[in-house]
Amino acid sequence: MKTWEFIVRRLLLLIPVIIGVTIITFTVSHVIPADPARAFAGGPKAQPDVIERITKELHLDQPLWIQYFYYLNDIVHLNLGKSYLESRPVVDSLAQYFPATLELTIFSMLIAIPLGIVGGIVSAIRRNKLSDHITRIIAIVGYSLPIFWLALMLQYAFAYQFPILPLEGRLAIGMNAPSSITGLYVVDSIITGNLDTLASTLYHLILPAFTLGFATLALILRMTRSSMLEVMGMDYIRTGRAKGLSERTVIYKHALRNALIPTVTVTGLSFGGLLGGAVLTETIFNWPGMGRFAARAVLGFDFSAVMGFTILVAIIYVVANLIVDILYAVIDPRVKLGGG
Amino acid sequence: MGSFKKKDMKAGVLAIIICAMFISIAFSGCTQQQDEEKPEIKNPTTMVRYDIGDAKTLDPADAYDTGSSEPIFQIYDTLVTYEGNNTKTFYPCLATDWSVSDDSLTWTFNLRHDVKFSNGNDFTAEDVKYSFDRVLTMGAPESGVDWILGQCMDTNSTTVIDDYTVQIQLTQSYGGFLALMPYTVAAIVDKDYVEANGGVVAGEENVWMKEHPMGTGPYVLDHWTRATEIVLNRNPTYWGGWEGNHPERVVIKYADEPATRILALKNGDADFTYVPYANLEDVIGEKGIVVHPFDSYDVALLAINTKATNNEFLADGQVRKALSYAFDYDTAIDTAWNGYASRLAGAIPNGMPYYETQNNGQPYYDYDLTIAEQILDDGGYAKDYDLDGTMYRFNGTTIRLFYNAGNSERETMAVMFRAALDEIGILSSIIAEGWPQLLHRMYTTDDWDMMFIGWGPDYNDPDDYISPFIGSADIGQDTYNTGYMNATVDENILEGKYSADSAVRAAAYKAAYDIYIQEPSMIFLVQRQYIRPWRDWVQNYSYNPVREWYYYDYYKAYP
Repeated sequence: MKTWEFIVRRLLLLIPVIIGVTIITFTVSHVIPADPARAFAGGPKAQPDVIERITKELHLDQPLWIQYFYYLNDIVHLNLGKSYLESRPVVDSLAQYFPATLELTIFSMLIAIPLGIVGGIVSAIRRNKLSDHITRIIAIVGYSLPIFWLALMLQYAFAYQFPILPLEGRLAIGMNAPSSITGLYVVDSIITGNLDTLASTLYHLILPAFTLGFATLALILRMTRSSMLEVMGMDYIRTGRAKGLSERTVIYKHALRNALIPTVTVTGLSFGGLLGGAVLTETIFNWPGMGRFAARAVLGFDFSAVMGFTILVAIIYVVANLIVDILYAVIDPRVKLGGG
Repeated sequence: MGSFKKKDMKAGVLAIIICAMFISIAFSGCTQQQDEEKPEIKNPTTMVRYDIGDAKTLDPADAYDTGSSEPIFQIYDTLVTYEGNNTKTFYPCLATDWSVSDDSLTWTFNLRHDVKFSNGNDFTAEDVKYSFDRVLTMGAPESGVDWILGQCMDTNSTTVIDDYTVQIQLTQSYGGFLALMPYTVAAIVDKDYVEANGGVVAGEENVWMKEHPMGTGPYVLDHWTRATEIVLNRNPTYWGGWEGNHPERVVIKYADEPATRILALKNGDADFTYVPYANLEDVIGEKGIVVHPFDSYDVALLAINTKATNNEFLADGQVRKALSYAFDYDTAIDTAWNGYASRLAGAIPNGMPYYETQNNGQPYYDYDLTIAEQILDDGGYAKDYDLDGTMYRFNGTTIRLFYNAGNSERETMAVMFRAALDEIGILSSIIAEGWPQLLHRMYTTDDWDMMFIGWGPDYNDPDDYISPFIGSADIGQDTYNTGYMNATVDENILEGKYSADSAVRAAAYKAAYDIYIQEPSMIFLVQRQYIRPWRDWVQNYSYNPVREWYYYDYYKAYP
């Protein structure tokens, strides 16, 4: 199977995945007897005409399966419904919040991936030495610290006791966001040449990106270390050394590429997971991203928003898996996409 | 091997020391001595408030939530307003003065001559008519808030007499009419501006106005980033002028996490913030922070379903009266509300006009299980059901107490009330459900017995409380679907509503209360206090339960 055929086939798999996701989320959110129309219209203060309008808008006066049909029809037309909490289309909300999460995820990965891989390599090749112990402790701390605790402590230390970093948000208080081109403030500020905004964005990324990256770093570090140790004990590594290859060539050319496969898997899935929004990090650092949006939607019974979010996360996961599979082939030429 | 172990141990110790250093740096501030000097005022010309709950719209014609009202109050003006913490007096705003005809049906407002919208357009009587008619034509499709004006106005009500005089002919006299005027739905928009940006379409929202407000108020919108902040700048053409101390900018930020909001207040990023009751200890006594409770108009109630299919005993007013004696009000204030609440005499909250018509402003019921038992015994509801050796009333029927899941105050009160009911021989259970489920249960079934609920003000008139709570469905009320109906109570409520004579209104509300309180369909639990923590450098802040947050009045300076 050619690469493009593999990609198309995997992308086509999105259709049953989305149908499955919508069936589950739609059923869960609609099966309990509830009055979302009145809730959205203001609860006890709701006016009858508004309740009626929302009931019609959501087709709540129709049987469940017809409601589902309408919902699917809307999805086909890229209409994910309306967020009643935000009083605007869900698509608009996702378009605003997804880039915020993407930016945070990218920067957290920029911290986690190089440090995690380098730390893992160092830890493996200097097994049971001081550097191994330090990286091992970093990994254990990163893996076991509750992320909300770390976030709160970092805020307390660096935004209150030693106020050298901002407490929360994507930009300084009251600062205008750059013109929205990609929604990624760093990219948009560079494109528009707005250096003040760029500086403020980067400054505000430090704490949340570090918090989010720390746990992922720990995971990548441990995975790289164990994978490297396994590979380093294999015959072909011994052969490489025996035939006089330099240690650098052995490690970086022969060991690392093979050891990276599980790391790539973990990194890819973490990336996908983080793109779905890191609820705690985003909430504590007041980062207007997907996780905070989803948490608000769930707590506010904003079903359309929850379902829109779920569909987007499902797509992200499928795409992240696909990218991981493609990366396998890039890293290891023996891997054939589609199983050959 | 021995040397390896030694090295291993040294490395481990070193690593632990590094970690300990990191943690100690994080905590070192906990024991630091606070600087005795006043800290430098952060952002001295910008007022920053951290809150929960973003605005939904900035169009006053469709705004019906506190998150939207706050910025609208800064951008738009109304004909009359409140000042400071005074809820008893109406002050001129865009109107200089007003008069009412003897039959209370015709109101005439004289308007200010020196007012411009922030785009430079002149403010005239045409804008007033356009604004009111717009609300009534649009019909507030998103919120339904048009009902507030619709109670006594239609699109024929407002007449332009001249450029600076408008007359409003009410469709029926309404005692609370003037109290409607300071609400956001009565804010004045620029006719030309709206017409140039979508105009008015019946039953449809104006998407432009939702995000591009333009009024005569002290501030103009700089930007609104959803779920992040609303930033307002001074309106240079503001008719009130900029003499004296006023903020140049106002920032309303949204942060869901209480710890983040509290830190923002402590480090001075925030001048005000919202702190839940459970977190108050984190700010009380903190240097540089003022914490003050204020009586809000928010009330907590326990609705009784008089037509409960599961519990026909609740149809009896005497049973409901006994239940009112079985709630431990004072303990609820201390435990559920941490002391930040007060007793409630009836439907009208303390501070609102005509509050005194309710038992001279004193709560009618106190916690007294002896009286509760006596009423039940006298009513023929003896303990007639043996459950494992304990006798219960109502043939063992269980009263189900509902509250919305996650509401800790209501949960605490439910637990307390259940214990009290048990003491007087009434079986009960507590059920927590999601808000949409509760609404479904309350409005489309009679499958509920009692439900913890709450209410906040729309405008400063008792009609906004007494009618929905104790008026029946026959007069379009009974907001909580309790099924309560007393024709005399309804007559009095309508008399109070439609009279502009304060003596008539007072007598009518008193008469309604005196009847209702003997057969109540709800237990009036408490009136909440809002806790407002703010930085001590903020001056001139005052709390008004119907129109809070008027940043033009505040400024930053140490006294």
